[in-house]
Amino acid sequence: MSDNRQPKTAATGASLQSVDTRKQLSAWAANHQLVAVETLIRLLANPLGSLLTWMVIAIALTLPGALWMALDNMEQLSGRFQESGRITLYLLPGTEVEQAQQLERRIQTLDSVSSTELIDADMALDDFRANSGLQAALEFLPENPLPSVILVEPPLGVSQQQLSVLVGKLQNYQLVDSVQLDMAWVERLLAMLALAERLIWVLGLLLALAILLVVGNTIRLAIAARVDEIRVVKLVGGTNAWVRRPFLYTGLWYGMVGGLLAWLMLIICWLLLNGPVSNLADLYGSGFELKPLSATAALSLLLSAMLLGWLGAWWSVSRHLDQIEP
Amino acid sequence: MSTGNPMVRFDRVSKRYPGGKEALSGVSFELDRGEFAFLTGHSGAGKSTLLKLMMQMEHPSRGQVFVDGLNLGKLRAGQVPYLRRKIGVVFQNHQLLFDRSVYDNIALPLQIAGYTPAEAGRRVRAALDSVGLLGMEKRNPIELSGGEQQRVGIARAVVNKPPLLLADEPTGNLDPELSAEIMNLFMRFQQVGVTVLIATHDIALVERLGHRRLILDHGQLHEDALIAGGQYV
Repeated sequence: MSDNRQPKTAATGASLQSVDTRKQLSAWAANHQLVAVETLIRLLANPLGSLLTWMVIAIALTLPGALWMALDNMEQLSGRFQESGRITLYLLPGTEVEQAQQLERRIQTLDSVSSTELIDADMALDDFRANSGLQAALEFLPENPLPSVILVEPPLGVSQQQLSVLVGKLQNYQLVDSVQLDMAWVERLLAMLALAERLIWVLGLLLALAILLVVGNTIRLAIAARVDEIRVVKLVGGTNAWVRRPFLYTGLWYGMVGGLLAWLMLIICWLLLNGPVSNLADLYGSGFELKPLSATAALSLLLSAMLLGWLGAWWSVSRHLDQIEP
Repeated sequence: MSTGNPMVRFDRVSKRYPGGKEALSGVSFELDRGEFAFLTGHSGAGKSTLLKLMMQMEHPSRGQVFVDGLNLGKLRAGQVPYLRRKIGVVFQNHQLLFDRSVYDNIALPLQIAGYTPAEAGRRVRAALDSVGLLGMEKRNPIELSGGEQQRVGIARAVVNKPPLLLADEPTGNLDPELSAEIMNLFMRFQQVGVTVLIATHDIALVERLGHRRLILDHGQLHEDALIAGGQYV
């Protein structure tokens, strides 16, 4: 302690800091590193208590994550339906085959039509006879009750607007009795999926709030356990940022490990469901396969978990820190 | 000794606690740089309040406090930590942390101030050497005797080389021999230029050591006595 003392000038606010800035910056970075490692070690030193918090976070994330995965798959499925959307034209009863063929040719020249198929009344009756098993009953009918039908296939990627324009045109032909757009149920499905997506968001927000509260409460207990240390740190000139730092890192770790566990649980869910789902899809003759959570989705899950942990800690620390004064 | 720029200046400072009790009333004094003074008075006379005002642990109801030229009334909340880094403080109950070693206790102010570990290590050892505890770095403070713990507290207070050192009853729990030893330590810091103010009710010790003495009586700075031939006037 033989060094000379501080200069005897009156200090201003800025000169309150005495260590030079570059050194302070590297010390600051070193401290971040140290605190990050220390807080993780502290959490791992009490694995049971930490595991409880981690599991709560993981489950709270797995639930919306699983729903999101399901929704993602449904959307993929509905996309396929959308591709196969086609228009059925029912012609007026008694329309001659020649008239129907003429109409079909005219329709083929329209925009937004990729192909057409005419099923005239006789062909339809033959099909029906062959497939329905009502052959005997049909013999008694005085005349063919089935209308001729033209199936119109719009090209892939046609927009809803183009489709409704096409439907409007088709309805105006004299021979056309009614037009049925097979999209209606796809639209309903899409509407339901949109609703499901909204529900997942609401659920996700509620569970995010739950994570904030869980982390906040855990951090509150951690603060209570370190009151003495906080007092001493403030006494010897620790800034609020310094005092906050270990708790923020603790929150970050809670979120990160919770997020990783949630990811793991989602992978397990996928592994458990993938077999039965492709089995079911095979029975329906579909090549549908359950997609796992995409890398982007998994990463955003992890990042939002870390953000939530950090925010929960921040919220708790700002509520309790000012109450602890030396 | 006056430089016209005292380390500490109180200007008609009063402190009234919410209960209505006036802990300090109209206290004015100056402490020059490098001065050594005792603050005495019966318990409850306002000694701790006076020290806390300098640390911004309390705020005056009236009057102004200056430390190292800073008007504490005009200090923003964010600047308080930097004020505290200029002041080493020693408590009767030493406020050591028992969850870490002696070394980590003393290094804490250095970590906070942003010293590199190497630099901190050098300073911690210098501080330990100055209080006669070199070689005790790895021990837990709980294993140490009361006098040793107090010396660890002093090492922590001076490790950052603050220009001002405050002590609140630093010898309160110690026997006379250890008390004298601790006081000698404080006087050594004064010899290297630190301004030292020690609050104590150990009048016998104060009389024996003979230094400037500030006496608080029911919140009033009763006497600002100076040494005259080794005697208080």
